[in-house]
Amino acid sequence: MSALTQQWAETFRADFHPAGPDWLNETREKAAQSMEANGLPVRRDEAWKYTPMRVLESMSPSIRGLKDDPTGVELALPDEDLLVSPDQVIDIFDGVFAGCRPLQREGVTVLSLQQGLVAHEARLRDLIEKVDVSGSAGAFAALNTAFLEQGVVILVDEHIDAGDLLLRWTFSGRHEAGMHNVRVFLLLEPGSSLRLTEQFIENAEQGKAVNVISHIELGDDAKLNHVRVQDEPDNTILISSTRVDLNARSEYRYAGFDLGGGLVRHELAAELAGTGAHAAFTGAFVLNDERHVDNHVSVSHTAKNCTSEQFFRGVLGGRSRGVFNGRALIRPGADGSSVRQSNANLLLSDLAEMDTKPELEIYADEVEASHGATVGQLDEIAVFYLRSRGLSEAAARGILTGAFCRAVSDRLEDRPLAAKIAELIDKAMPSQ
Amino acid sequence: MKHDGQTMLEIRNLHATVGGKAILKGLDLEVKAGEVHAIMGPNGSGKSTLGNVIAGREGYEVTDGEVLYLGKNLLDLEPEDRACEGLFLAFQYPVEIPGVNNTYFLRAALNAQRKHRGEPELDSMQFLKLVREKLEILHISDDLLHRAVNEGFSGGEKKRNEIFQMAVLEPRLAILDETDSGLDIDALRLVADGVNRLRSEDRSMIVVTHYQRLLDHIVPDYVHVLADGKFVASGGADLALKLEAKGYTWLEKGGIQALNSAAGA
Repeated sequence: MSALTQQWAETFRADFHPAGPDWLNETREKAAQSMEANGLPVRRDEAWKYTPMRVLESMSPSIRGLKDDPTGVELALPDEDLLVSPDQVIDIFDGVFAGCRPLQREGVTVLSLQQGLVAHEARLRDLIEKVDVSGSAGAFAALNTAFLEQGVVILVDEHIDAGDLLLRWTFSGRHEAGMHNVRVFLLLEPGSSLRLTEQFIENAEQGKAVNVISHIELGDDAKLNHVRVQDEPDNTILISSTRVDLNARSEYRYAGFDLGGGLVRHELAAELAGTGAHAAFTGAFVLNDERHVDNHVSVSHTAKNCTSEQFFRGVLGGRSRGVFNGRALIRPGADGSSVRQSNANLLLSDLAEMDTKPELEIYADEVEASHGATVGQLDEIAVFYLRSRGLSEAAARGILTGAFCRAVSDRLEDRPLAAKIAELIDKAMPSQ
Repeated sequence: MKHDGQTMLEIRNLHATVGGKAILKGLDLEVKAGEVHAIMGPNGSGKSTLGNVIAGREGYEVTDGEVLYLGKNLLDLEPEDRACEGLFLAFQYPVEIPGVNNTYFLRAALNAQRKHRGEPELDSMQFLKLVREKLEILHISDDLLHRAVNEGFSGGEKKRNEIFQMAVLEPRLAILDETDSGLDIDALRLVADGVNRLRSEDRSMIVVTHYQRLLDHIVPDYVHVLADGKFVASGGADLALKLEAKGYTWLEKGGIQALNSAAGA
């Protein structure tokens, strides 16, 4: 139990009166009870032991996005500075689904969560009920489930190439520090494909916390390229959980760039349930001051001949702290699986700390697996090489650390996007 | 070939240690503008140390003596300032730098040097034009422009990239540290041709090599033999041939005297 979860539970009882089928209200109720009984994650929770809750506790954000929230704010969102030239933009404004442009596209359906719960009740129910809200480790899942009301459902029909979709998160700063709970469903039917870019637009001076659960389902042969970029200010807390179900020969590619935020945690989980599926989780983070970024990746190989990859790079300055926990589980019968894990980190300061833990659990035959994790400093011979050509020491170190992170952005097929992200990486780099 | 140009480099009684171990034990050398000096010697004689000391690599400590470059105390300068003043070291083992594009790196380096000299920086179009000219002179394909610095390069490509950098940066004094090591005959000729095209009246070069064969292609004005941290013999280009015929062990068996008297003859 904690004061904060107590406060949220009171809000749940007093101010939250969502519509919804009975099963959903029961699920919400149970989640709220679990949250109230168990409180926030504690150090004893293995998966949370490096993730400090004090930032959240001192911010003490109240719940936002309740149905009776006064919205009615003019949506005047500028389209400059978008990372991609999207075929469609979906706006989440202060944690509330705020529509999409264009409204309609052939083969692509975009619904608010409330609409989606009506149109695709059974399918969404399955996914919602799968979320484990138990214990203090499940606090944020419980919180999100209790207040499950806001979000978006995106469906791509069979054999449709849905092009570039931008999911834009805008925060107006018109509220005091708020806790935004949002749910995203992304359902790709067999043979369809999509490039999804998530971008965060910041107007807020107030701190905020965002707690997102994304459910992604890929039908046979479906393909999703998923890029998430955030360079939020220090007073942002971002907790995300992304759960991906992959069917036969489907492909999921994630690239996450965390270039800001005070406390950031991503849980990235994939279930390779269809033969020949592929999941790649890649990411880079740049930290300074007292920032914290935590990537928890968990890939489960259930079907035969699936491949997965985890590739993360981190640069840490100041008193920052990074965590990488990469787990790959090859279940019995998932023969012919291939797993690659790599996590490399550069510490630019004596006070920065990185905890990295690759985990492989293999219960099948004919499995290829490799993993490596490093925490170190820049190669001094490379620094000297650049200096010997006339570059200052600071420039040499800047170029080398930038390049270290670009190893992730360089893998993006979308070259203009990769170039924009490379620029953001350079901008986020701590001075050396 | 004798040169009456200004003195480019003057080394006096240079002593240097690496990791506390004395490597250079009293070197003297004078290099004038336009001259090419070859430094030969067996493994462990201090050849690479000399290049690294001149370029300013960390961990190479000068314990005595001085190095004057165009009359200035070179040892007071940071490595990047030495480069900006026109010094260039072609590395024996060029460093692979994944993620840094060769063109980007070289333009940043050239512009840092131009800024230091008070010249306007080149934009990417101007730089590309310059680069294409240099590639043509050196007969190098432009495919190396698009790759990360030395990453995945063959031994020959790495050495050619060093010469290409030298061509773009146009140093006044270049030190080529075992540029021939690890090259086959064809690659050696290509690299040597590149170096020869960059020889000029106001550029000096110090060619450090273990084998004489490089000097068939880059004919030096002077050859110096380094053994145990000191120059034990100096002479013209023919000195290298004698050394090749007799081998370095011959030096230890009283050959130095023979060499010196031959060189003086």
